[in-house]
Amino acid sequence: MLVRDYMTKHPLMVQPTMSIVDAQRFMGENNIRHLPIVGDGKRLLGLVTRQTLLVDPGRLGSLDVWEITRCLAGLTVQDVMVKAEHVIIVEQNATIEEAARIMVEKKIGCLLVVDDGVVTGVITEIDLLARLMEMMAARVPGVRVTVRQPNVSGELAKLVGAIAAQGWGIRALGGTPTPKDPSKWDVVVKVSNVPKDEIVAALRKVDGQEVVDVREV
Amino acid sequence: MSTELEWITEVDDHRIKTPVLQVEDVAISYETRKGDVPAVRDVSFDILRGEAHSIVGESGCGKSTVAFGIVNFLGRNGRIVNGRILFQGQDLVGRPQEELRRIRGDRIAMVYQDPMQALNPSMRLGDQMSEVLIVHRGMEKKAAEEKCLEMLNRVYMPDAANVMRRYPHQISGGQQQRVVIAMALLNDPALLIMDEPTTALDVTVEAVVLDLIAELQRVFDTAIMYISHNLGVVARVSTKVGVMYAGEIVERATVKDVYLRPYHPYTQGLMRCVPRLGMDKRSSFLYPIPGRVPSPANLPPGCVFEPRCDYSREECRLKRPALRAIEPRHWVRCHFAEEVAQMGWEPPEEVLADLATPAEFDRTAEPILKVSRAKTYYEAPSKKLLSREKLYVKAVDDVSIEVIKGETLGIVGESGCGKSTLVKTVIGMEKPTAGEFEFMGVDISTPVSKRDLSIIRELQMVFQNPDSTLNPSFTVGMQIGRALRRFKTVPKDHVRAEVMRLLNMMKLGELYYDRLPRQLSGGEKQRVGIARAIAARPELVLCDEPVSALDVSVQAAVLNLLMEIQAELGTTMIFIAHDLSVVRFFCDHIAVMYLGQIAEIGLAEAIYSPPYHPYTEALLSAVPIPDPSVEQKSIRLSGNVPSALNPPSGCRFHTRCPRKLGDVCETAAPPCQHMTDEHRIHCHIPLEELREMEMVVSIAG
Amino acid sequence: MMTEMGALTQPSRWQKIWDSLSILWQSKVAVAGLILVLFWTLTAIFAPVVTQHEPNVEDAQARNEGPSAGHWLGTDHKGRDLWSRVAYGGRIVLVKWPVTESFWIPGGVAIWGVLIALAVGCTLGLLSGYYGGWVGEVVMRILDAMMAFPTILLYLIIIAAMGASATNVVIAITIAGSPGIARLVRGLALDIRTRDYIAAAETRGEPGLWMMFLEVLPNARGPIIIDAMLRVGYAIFSIGTLGFLGLGLPPPNPDWGSMVQAGHHHIFTNPWGVVWPTVAISSLVVGLSLLADGLREESLRYQ
Ligand SMILES: Nc1ncnc2c1ncn2[C@@H]1O[C@H](COP(=O)(O)OP(=O)(O)O)[C@@H](O)[C@H]1O
Ligand code: SF4
Ligand code: SF4
Ligand SMILES: [Mg+2]
Repeated sequence: MLVRDYMTKHPLMVQPTMSIVDAQRFMGENNIRHLPIVGDGKRLLGLVTRQTLLVDPGRLGSLDVWEITRCLAGLTVQDVMVKAEHVIIVEQNATIEEAARIMVEKKIGCLLVVDDGVVTGVITEIDLLARLMEMMAARVPGVRVTVRQPNVSGELAKLVGAIAAQGWGIRALGGTPTPKDPSKWDVVVKVSNVPKDEIVAALRKVDGQEVVDVREV
Repeated sequence: MSTELEWITEVDDHRIKTPVLQVEDVAISYETRKGDVPAVRDVSFDILRGEAHSIVGESGCGKSTVAFGIVNFLGRNGRIVNGRILFQGQDLVGRPQEELRRIRGDRIAMVYQDPMQALNPSMRLGDQMSEVLIVHRGMEKKAAEEKCLEMLNRVYMPDAANVMRRYPHQISGGQQQRVVIAMALLNDPALLIMDEPTTALDVTVEAVVLDLIAELQRVFDTAIMYISHNLGVVARVSTKVGVMYAGEIVERATVKDVYLRPYHPYTQGLMRCVPRLGMDKRSSFLYPIPGRVPSPANLPPGCVFEPRCDYSREECRLKRPALRAIEPRHWVRCHFAEEVAQMGWEPPEEVLADLATPAEFDRTAEPILKVSRAKTYYEAPSKKLLSREKLYVKAVDDVSIEVIKGETLGIVGESGCGKSTLVKTVIGMEKPTAGEFEFMGVDISTPVSKRDLSIIRELQMVFQNPDSTLNPSFTVGMQIGRALRRFKTVPKDHVRAEVMRLLNMMKLGELYYDRLPRQLSGGEKQRVGIARAIAARPELVLCDEPVSALDVSVQAAVLNLLMEIQAELGTTMIFIAHDLSVVRFFCDHIAVMYLGQIAEIGLAEAIYSPPYHPYTEALLSAVPIPDPSVEQKSIRLSGNVPSALNPPSGCRFHTRCPRKLGDVCETAAPPCQHMTDEHRIHCHIPLEELREMEMVVSIAG
Repeated sequence: MMTEMGALTQPSRWQKIWDSLSILWQSKVAVAGLILVLFWTLTAIFAPVVTQHEPNVEDAQARNEGPSAGHWLGTDHKGRDLWSRVAYGGRIVLVKWPVTESFWIPGGVAIWGVLIALAVGCTLGLLSGYYGGWVGEVVMRILDAMMAFPTILLYLIIIAAMGASATNVVIAITIAGSPGIARLVRGLALDIRTRDYIAAAETRGEPGLWMMFLEVLPNARGPIIIDAMLRVGYAIFSIGTLGFLGLGLPPPNPDWGSMVQAGHHHIFTNPWGVVWPTVAISSLVVGLSLLADGLREESLRYQ
C-alpha cells in the first residue's frame, strides 16, 4: 500500500512560460485544481492552484482597464506559482498513511508525487478515500459488524479467533479508537455469505467485547 | 482470472480515465513535385490514460503519417494542414519547435519497426541508454546506469548487465527492440507510439514482445498508440482499434466490435481475406478485395472506398461519408452502414470467377522430389587468424523430405532455421555438402551451372521481396520473354503472344507488357515474378515467402492465383512462409524446421492438432489470431534460435524447449517417431504422451 | 483511377526519354551545369560558324589586344583571335579525336578516353565483383596498386614515355581511369549480386556474360554515369595541365592547356591570353561537376 500504487500517473503539467490566462482556462477545461509547472525532464519548478492564479487586487487597484489587461496578458505562471521548494510533496515509495498524514496536517486535498525532483504523479484525497472504501470492502455484500473492545493487546486476536473458529472468512477488518473513549477500540469486520444472526450470535460470545452496530450491506 | 482483472479496473474507476491524446479532424499533406498530396484527412480519435489503441491498415494508408504528425516529425515537406492534436490537454499543432522537443523527450516516446533507427551503432547500449537520463534528467552517471539496468530487467532482458556493455549489432533483433522499448520507458512517458514494432520479428519473439507491451502498459499506466498492418497482432495488444483506409479512419470501436461485427465494407473485406488459423483451401476461400488503394494524389471524389466497394451506389460517388456513431462507441464512415450490415455478403461475379478450386493430387504417386540426409554447410570465416580448423554454419543438417507430384509442401520455422537454404540447395544455388537429391529420377546434387537445361527449366523459383524480384532496367514483357526464349518454351515468333497469355493469366492484362517494374505495385510485381517462374512450365516451383511482403488484401489474390496455376498446370510447389495461418491454408504437407533439421513433418491438419512437436506447439501458440473469441494457450519460448555454427548437442531445441525431459534431450539426438506413415515427430517424449497434448488454439463457446 | 487511365495511353518513346530527362530540370544545380557543358560543346561543334577569324591566322597589326568588336575576346601575342582559339580548342577534347594526322572520329579525346576506360573498368569490376574468387582478388590488388599513384603523375609518366599525341592522351586517360571505375563497379556489383532478380536469372542458368552485362551492369548505370561525368571533367583538366607543362597536343592546333602555357610568358603585357583558356577549362570542369552533383542529389531523392 504505497503511494506509487494508487497515485494517478502522468498528471497534466505545463511549461513555466504559459500565460496565467491560458493556465486558468487549461485548469477549467480539464477540471483540475493543482497544476504542476515543469521544466526539462519533468522537473518540478512550481505549482499553481486556482488561488495562486487570482491576481492580488491590491496590485491591480491602481491600474486602469488597459493596464490591467496588459499586465494580465504579460503574466506567466512562473510569476505567480508556488516555488518548488515550498510545494508540499510526497515520494512514490511513501506509504499511503504517510500521504494521508501530510494531507491532514497541511489541510490539503492533493499531493504531488515527486522523486528526485521529477514529477511522477498526483495523489488526492479521493484516492485515499477509495482505499478506505476498499479496505472496508464497501462494494462487497455481507454483514458489517462493529465491535467495541478494550484497547489492550490480545483483544483483536480473540475476535478474529471467534470468527475463524466458525470457518468464516473475513472480507474486511479495520479499527479506530473509540470516539471520546481512549480506553476502547472500535473494530469493524465484514463477513460474507453468512446469515446476520449467526454472526451476531457468535460475536456476542466473545467476552469483554460488545457488538455496537450490525448491518447488512 | 478474468473476474480479478475486472475487479482491478473497477477499483480504479473513481479515477476518471482522462484522454491523454485527442486527435481532432487532423489533415496532413506532403508537398511534392506534383503538388500537395493530402496523405491524411479528417482523422479523429482519442486515447485514454493507460489504454492501448491500435491503428490498423494496409501500407501507404497514412498510419505512420499520423504518428509522425503527432510528434511533428513530418520531415521538410510534410505539414499539418488542419485539426488539433491535444496531448494532455495542450494543443501540439503550431507549437514552437523547442517546446515540442521537450514534450517529445519527456512525455511521448516512439518505437519504430527497425530498432536500429533508434540505436546508435557505434555506442555501447548502456551508454546510450544512460545518456537519456543524464541529459534529460541531469542524473549522475552511476545512478543513471543503475536505473537503466533496472529497466532492462523490467523488460526481461536476459543477462542485462552484460547487454549494457555490448554494441547494438551484438544482440539479436528481438533484443534490440527490447532495448528500444526499455529506452522509451526510461522517461516514464504518458504516451508511447509504436509503429509496427514487431513486424520485423519472428512470431515467437513477437509473441514475447507483445506480452511485454501489454504488461508494461498496465504497470506504467502508459497510453499506447499501436500501429500495425496485422489484424492478429492488433487483436492481441489493444482494446480499441481504428481502421484506416486511404488516409481516413473508416471504422473505430473496441477490438471485439470491429472484429466480430464490422460495419464498414472495407473492414468486412479485410476480415474475409485473411486466412484464420485452421482454415484450409479445400474447405474455404479467401476473398481478395478487388482493385487497389487509391493514391492520395488521386482520390475518388465521394467515398474513398467506392471504386472497390461491393455496395457502392450513386450517392457514394458524389458525397463523402462522414465518420458517424452507428452505435454508442462504434463509429463508421459509410453512408449505408446499417443496410450493409443487414444485407449480408455474396461474393460478386468477378471475385467468384477468380476463385480456384484447389488441385487434387494423388497421394500414392511416386514422389517427384526426394531429398535424403541433405546437408548444406557454409564455411564460416575462422575467428583465429592462423588456425587450420574450419568452422561450418550448418544451415541444413540431415534433412529428408519427399514431395509428391501436384502437391504443396509448406516449410515453416523461425528465421535462420535453414528453410531458404534447403530450397536454394534444391534449385542449385547452393552446393550441398552431403546427401542425395533426386528430382524426376535425375540426380540434382550439382549446382545449377552444371545442370542440364532440361532440368533447370523444370525447377523455378518465386522470391519474397517484390521490390527486388524484377530487374529494374527491363520491361515486364522482356523479363517474362527472356525465360521463354532461354528455355525455348515456344518458337521465337510466338514469344510475344505467349507473354500476353501469361499476363492475362496473372490477371494483369496486356498493357503491362511495356511497363517498367517501378510502375507496378507490390502485388503486381509479385505476379510478374510468378509469371516469369511459370513461363517455362516447370514441374516444381519453389516459393520463398512469396506473399510475406504483401498487404493482406493483395496476399489473398496472389494465393488464389498460385492455387489457380496449380490447378491448371498441375505444378508441384514448395512454399515457405512464416505466417502459420497462410501455410495451413495453402499447403497439403507441412515440414516444421528448427535449426537446420526437421522437427515435425506431416499432413497439414495433422501438424495443427495434437500430437505436436514441442516446437510446433510453441509456434502455434505464438501466432497472432485476428479473432478475439479464440482461446489460445500461451507458451512462450525464451531467447533466440542458437547459432548454427555450434548447434546444441542432442536435441537442438533443448535450450528453449518448454517440455524438455532432462539429460536425455541434451545428450541423445531425438528419435524419429512415426505417428502415421506420413507424420513424423523428432522428439524424446513418448508417443503416448505426445498424444495427450491439448489443442493450442480453440474457438471459445 | 489515374493508373488505369495511364494504362490506356502508352507513353511514346519520346515521352519516356523526356520523362527520364525531367529529373534533370528538377535540380537547379544540374541545369546550371548542363548549360555550361552545352555551351562549350555547341561552341566547339559550331566553331567555324560562331567565329569570325581562323584560329591560326596571325594578324601582326593586332597583337596583345583586349576585347573589342573585331576580336571579341581580344588577341594573343601573335595576334591570333582568342575567341576563335578558345572555341576551336574545345574541339579536340569534346568533339573530334584525330586518331592519325588525316583520320579523325567524332567525340573528343576526353570523351573517348573515359568511354574506353569505362569499357575496361566495367569489365574488370564486373568480373571481380560478380564472380569474385581469387581472380577478382588479384585484379583488384593490381588496380589498387595503380590507384596509389596520383592520377596526374600517371598521365605524366605515360605521355612522357609515349610522346604527346591525341591517341596517347586517350590511352593515358584509359589507363589512369579504369582502376577507379573498376573499383566503383565492383562495389556496385557486390551489392546488386544479392538482389532477387539476380538469383532468378541464376536459376534460369543464364551464362556469365548475360549475368554481368545485362543483369548487373544496367542497374549500376546511375552511379557510373555520374562518375563518368566527373571523370570527363578531370580528364579535361589533366589535358590542360599536360598542355601547360608542354606535353600537350602538337601545335598549331589550339588546345587550352597549351594556350595558357604560351600566354603565361606574356601575362603582364596581355593577361587575356591566359584568362580566357583558363576560364574555358574551369567553367567546363565546374559545369560537369555541377551536372554530376545535381544528378546525384536528384537520383538519391527519388530512389
Ligand atoms: N515524405 C513523403 N513525401 C511524400 N509522400 C509521402 C511521404 N511519406 C509518406 N508519403 C505518402 O503518404 C501516404 C501515407 O504513407 P504512410 O503514412 O507511410 O502510410 P503507412 O504507414 O500506413 O504505410 C503514402 O501514399 C505515402 O506514399
Ligand atoms: S459509402 Fe458507399 S462506397 Fe463507401 S463504403 Fe459505404 S457503401 Fe461502400
Ligand atoms: S527431444 Fe526433448 S528437448 Fe527436444 S523437443 Fe523433445 S522434449 Fe524438447
Ligand atoms: Mg508505415
